[in-house]
Amino acid sequence: MLRYILKRILQFIPVFIGVTVILFVLQNVVPGDPIKLITGEKAVSPEVELQLRIANHLVKTQEFPILDENGQQVYDEDGNPQMVKRAVNSKGEPVSNSKDAEPESVWDRYVYYISGLLQGNLGNSYQKRRPVADIFLEKYPYTIRLALCGIVVEIIVGIGAGVISAIKRYSFWDVLVTLSTSILVAMPAFWLGMLLQLLFGVNLKILPISGAGANSAFPEYLHYILPAITLASVSTAYTARIMRSQLLDVMNSDYIRTAVAKGLSSRKVIVHHALKNALIPVVTYIGIDFGSMLSGAILTETVFNWPGIGLTIYQAIMQRDWPIVLGGVSIICIVVMVISLIVDVSYAFLDPRIRYGASAKGGK
Amino acid sequence: MKYELAEDYVAPQENALEASKDSTKPQRTLWGDAFRRLRRNKLALIASVWIIFVVIIALSADLWVPQTFGSPTDIDSSTSAARSLLPPRIKGLENLGIFDGTTDKKNLTTGEMEHINVYQVNAEKYPNSGVQDEYHPFGTDLLGRDVMSRIIYGSRISLSVGLLATSIAVLIGLIMGAVAAYYGGIWDVLIMRLADIFLAFPYVLFVIAVLAVFGPGFQNVFLAIGILGWPSIARVFRSAILSVKENDFIDAARAMGAGDWRIIVRHIFPNSVATIIVYATMSIGGAILTESALSFLGMGVQPPTPSWGYMISDGKTYLSTAPWLMMCPGLAILSTVLAFTVLGDGLRDALDVKMKDA
Repeated sequence: MLRYILKRILQFIPVFIGVTVILFVLQNVVPGDPIKLITGEKAVSPEVELQLRIANHLVKTQEFPILDENGQQVYDEDGNPQMVKRAVNSKGEPVSNSKDAEPESVWDRYVYYISGLLQGNLGNSYQKRRPVADIFLEKYPYTIRLALCGIVVEIIVGIGAGVISAIKRYSFWDVLVTLSTSILVAMPAFWLGMLLQLLFGVNLKILPISGAGANSAFPEYLHYILPAITLASVSTAYTARIMRSQLLDVMNSDYIRTAVAKGLSSRKVIVHHALKNALIPVVTYIGIDFGSMLSGAILTETVFNWPGIGLTIYQAIMQRDWPIVLGGVSIICIVVMVISLIVDVSYAFLDPRIRYGASAKGGK
Repeated sequence: MKYELAEDYVAPQENALEASKDSTKPQRTLWGDAFRRLRRNKLALIASVWIIFVVIIALSADLWVPQTFGSPTDIDSSTSAARSLLPPRIKGLENLGIFDGTTDKKNLTTGEMEHINVYQVNAEKYPNSGVQDEYHPFGTDLLGRDVMSRIIYGSRISLSVGLLATSIAVLIGLIMGAVAAYYGGIWDVLIMRLADIFLAFPYVLFVIAVLAVFGPGFQNVFLAIGILGWPSIARVFRSAILSVKENDFIDAARAMGAGDWRIIVRHIFPNSVATIIVYATMSIGGAILTESALSFLGMGVQPPTPSWGYMISDGKTYLSTAPWLMMCPGLAILSTVLAFTVLGDGLRDALDVKMKDA
């Protein structure tokens, strides 16, 4: 077991490095000078521009001691020399013009990026002049709450529909579930969201169609219903399909026949024997899906004007605020990777076949 | 001692060929059988008819659509105000009151039934706008362009993105999967780890991030969807090829001196082509969905070129006044994607492909 978890964590490391490399590359092929994006149309003085370049790790810097008017080094209260970061040219001499400064090497910028990432520092937003990490800390709770609601819908409706259609195979309900899952999977989720808005918001006027409850005539919990259904729609369909096929599979196995032959009622056979085994892959799927829901459904949040990270990223794309876009994608990728790691490890707890299979292989 | 062939000797293979020519039984091939099975699958048949229909309409659009429904992009500034946001109207149905935007509703204060305009349009909108003789089966948009015409032209974008993106993904996935499965060892580890890295990104978000950096547009859209779509395809092909590789005929081919690429191209591909076809068919639907999502976010094909996702986002503003703007393109996406999925399912059953990892 421990060996399996260790192996899985070791596999995680190269993937993590690979993901950060791709993100870093994306960050660095963004067209246009980052300084222009930060300052917008305003012209800035060379000093300010140089300071911005230093702050964004775009030029090589060195620490220089601060000198007072007499050319004496300045010390702080503890007696340590006070230093200042200045841009340098290729010879290591301080420069005061960004044209003369030597650009920071790609490798050093990657090191800055990854150490910032590990410390939770994702840079500053160009437009909002705030740390990207703060912005996401503020928006993430909305996304998490919506994802939790979505997962509840997925568990109840998805597993329920899958079980019913498997037990009553070829019945009206089975056909209904099969048909509606096919349609849901082929439907753009954002379109489903708009249909729900049209039906419940515009025509019936019983549910709010936008926002998360601020300045609204509706109670706050009602705001979650339509976005949660939209967010969960596709994965609920998949959950139902997986549940159905798994349950049918398990029902055909020998030990179920034994249980039936023993004289157990069909309810007992299904609840105590079949469901437990059939649920394992479903739980895995739902776990991974929770990860992707936490990745901020950019479409659902855009349709419902939901103030989560998806909408924040979308707005940042429109405003060309790259630190938010790429910082957000970085956070999301890490969340998704960590969750799939947790799901894999807990899968090994749920299903002994996995860990025995792994340790048998490892033992060779 | 000298052996001589008899005068009437016929080589065994030729003999067999003669026999098969004489036989009245039709020859049975894998593809013939699959086609026969597919033909018996009613749903798959309907799906393929729909796909062929959409393809023909899209290809022939230039010949008849602008004349029948009007241009999908041009805005006639003198009449666009009059034609703005006209509801759907179909010749012969206009007097039946179907979908004219009105309904009978109880007035809550007086308690009487009232005839009200739900969408603030009414059956007389066409005559009132001075376009009595026009029929727009799916209505018109804000700038007075016919929605039907725009949907038909939008199908060109959806179909070509679906086809091009899938071709790119399949091509890359095929090469990666083949190299990983056939050479194994370090190649397998490297390629599959690379696939893991790509799969660690949430797919749609990854495509969005790439397009945000490289900019929107037709070419970037199908390139991004295609290039980022290879890992799942590579995984499927890898497992398909691994199972083919175990067969004795591969060893036989190698024993006869066939090189690696000859074995891959001549022996392994033909035996995994069924999996490729099934998976590619299903991927086209997925690519169309992704394209519509990108266009919806304004990162796909840029206006005025019509695309289904963009039309839906156009309709977002007029959800209560002109719901046909989002309804019709949505139905177009749904029916097309559904057709590709159903056809993929049918092909899978017909070709008897077992989908692993899919």
